[in-house]
Amino acid sequence: MTRTPDQDSFRYPLVWRLLDGLNTAADVLWPRKMARFTGWLLLAPALLLVGILVISLVQIAESSLHVLDRSTFMPGEDYTLANYATIADSATYARVLWRSLLGAALTVVFTLLLALPYSYVMVRTTSALTRKALLIVLFLPFFIGQVVRAYGILIVMGRSGAVNDILGLVGIEPLRLLFNFPAVVFGLVQYMLPFAVLMLAPALTAIPREIEAAANSLGANWIRTFRHIVIPMAKPGLVGAGLVVGTLSLTDFAMPAMLGGGSQDFIANAIYDQFFRTADQGLGSALALILVALGSVIVGVIIAFFGAGTLGMGGKK
Amino acid sequence: MTSRSQRIVFWSLVWFSIIVLSLPTVIVLGASVTAGNIITFPPQGFSLKWYEQIAMARDLRQAFGRSIHVSLICLAVSVPVGTLAGIALTRFRLRFSSLIQVYLLLPFTIPLIGSGIGMMLLFGSWGILGSVWPLGVALAVINLPFIIWSVSSSAAALDGDLELAAASCGAGRIEAFLHVTLPGVMPGVITGGLLMFVLAMSEFLVSLLLTDARTVTLPVQIYNNIRSIITPDLAAVSSVFVVLALLAVWLLDRLVGLEIFLKSK
Repeated sequence: MTRTPDQDSFRYPLVWRLLDGLNTAADVLWPRKMARFTGWLLLAPALLLVGILVISLVQIAESSLHVLDRSTFMPGEDYTLANYATIADSATYARVLWRSLLGAALTVVFTLLLALPYSYVMVRTTSALTRKALLIVLFLPFFIGQVVRAYGILIVMGRSGAVNDILGLVGIEPLRLLFNFPAVVFGLVQYMLPFAVLMLAPALTAIPREIEAAANSLGANWIRTFRHIVIPMAKPGLVGAGLVVGTLSLTDFAMPAMLGGGSQDFIANAIYDQFFRTADQGLGSALALILVALGSVIVGVIIAFFGAGTLGMGGKK
Repeated sequence: MTSRSQRIVFWSLVWFSIIVLSLPTVIVLGASVTAGNIITFPPQGFSLKWYEQIAMARDLRQAFGRSIHVSLICLAVSVPVGTLAGIALTRFRLRFSSLIQVYLLLPFTIPLIGSGIGMMLLFGSWGILGSVWPLGVALAVINLPFIIWSVSSSAAALDGDLELAAASCGAGRIEAFLHVTLPGVMPGVITGGLLMFVLAMSEFLVSLLLTDARTVTLPVQIYNNIRSIITPDLAAVSSVFVVLALLAVWLLDRLVGLEIFLKSK
């Protein structure tokens, strides 16, 4: 056999050696007969990471079963349900829970009222530029973060803020717009609007234009078209958006804390206060666990009705 | 939209939403360049003195540094973990896959106050609460579904035959993964990483629960300062987040196009 000069000068590249080595290592550490578990191997880190949350919940549950010992200010040794009894008997927590539920319900109504036309216009507009602009307006606040948004609202609605200035032009005395219940709801609506619009938009996209056109040609005006065509067909999106907005506002901390001025606590604020003001860890944990349970029930309803589809991961069709 | 009345009703509601969504941001930007010492509307004169002031303020600079630090740790944890999970969920047939979905969505379904308090208790019992890095891990946990979602939608678009083709050309499993699968899902990895970084930078509640006076991050610092007094220097700090958000939106639009969020499933 004659060797060509070409083969002589060929040197096996280092990267290939490296990859060969890795392949050999893989064959030893993870033999091919394990191939059907490879998916689980890749998934394991994520399962472990989310496991931190699961252990955290167990920790909360454990901590909620100990009553604060008032003499030592340490959690007691014995396991008891006394913290839950305290919450059930307390008129304060009933009031806080009622305020959170009412706030969440109002937020859902107002958010959907604004989100529906917004996503409808965004989906149906023929101008690509308008659509892009509407999307940017939506995404910016999402990335800015809650604190800065609440800070912006504090400036705009303050006693010498823009809103009061404009009211002053038409001769209305400066109003106290902040640190009350409506301010918190307003902040929550502002916070939730992007979520709601983004959850509604795919549902509206799925409605064929032709059906609306057909309704029109049969003599329905737009209000009737909306009532009998668009809203029923967008119902899954509306319910999904409503439930997500409801859970997120029910459990929100920042808006009640910053726009409520301490007088409009939601459940999350009550939990925070138990930990950082009263230092009653057990009672705070019990409250937190109740809130988690409440949230899980709502989410369970979402998944039971719609599947994990709207939030789902993994491209199963 | 054909009828005039519909256009009027819809567009007035849309404009109301646009104002509600954007006005606070615009006002924050405006207030940050005021020459006056208090925030008024309209701003009095133009000046960058508040930016100068925050650049000098040691606590804000340190808080900003810690925010970057935390976000980088969040990236370092979530990108590999999320990428592998996203690939696993789409490229492999797994049993109990709907159960796994529900489990991996726990970070979204457990209220943030619950996750935050729980991790505070857990990290406290592990004795790691005084450092900065646990917050990075915590933020990776609570936002993990974002990157998994982003990677798995990329992986779903990847043709499975490509990996087989690579194998038939003699590529080993590692080579096929590094040269075919990974480049294929890269757009999703980059988008997801971007989301994770920006969300970690601006995350507030879990950061509030897991930091103390020595490890406070920028959003928490802003929150603490607001509670004492509202001055234009905070508006200048907030502008940092506005700029960051602008950058993120621009990049997201570049990478995947914002319109992808309108598609029906």
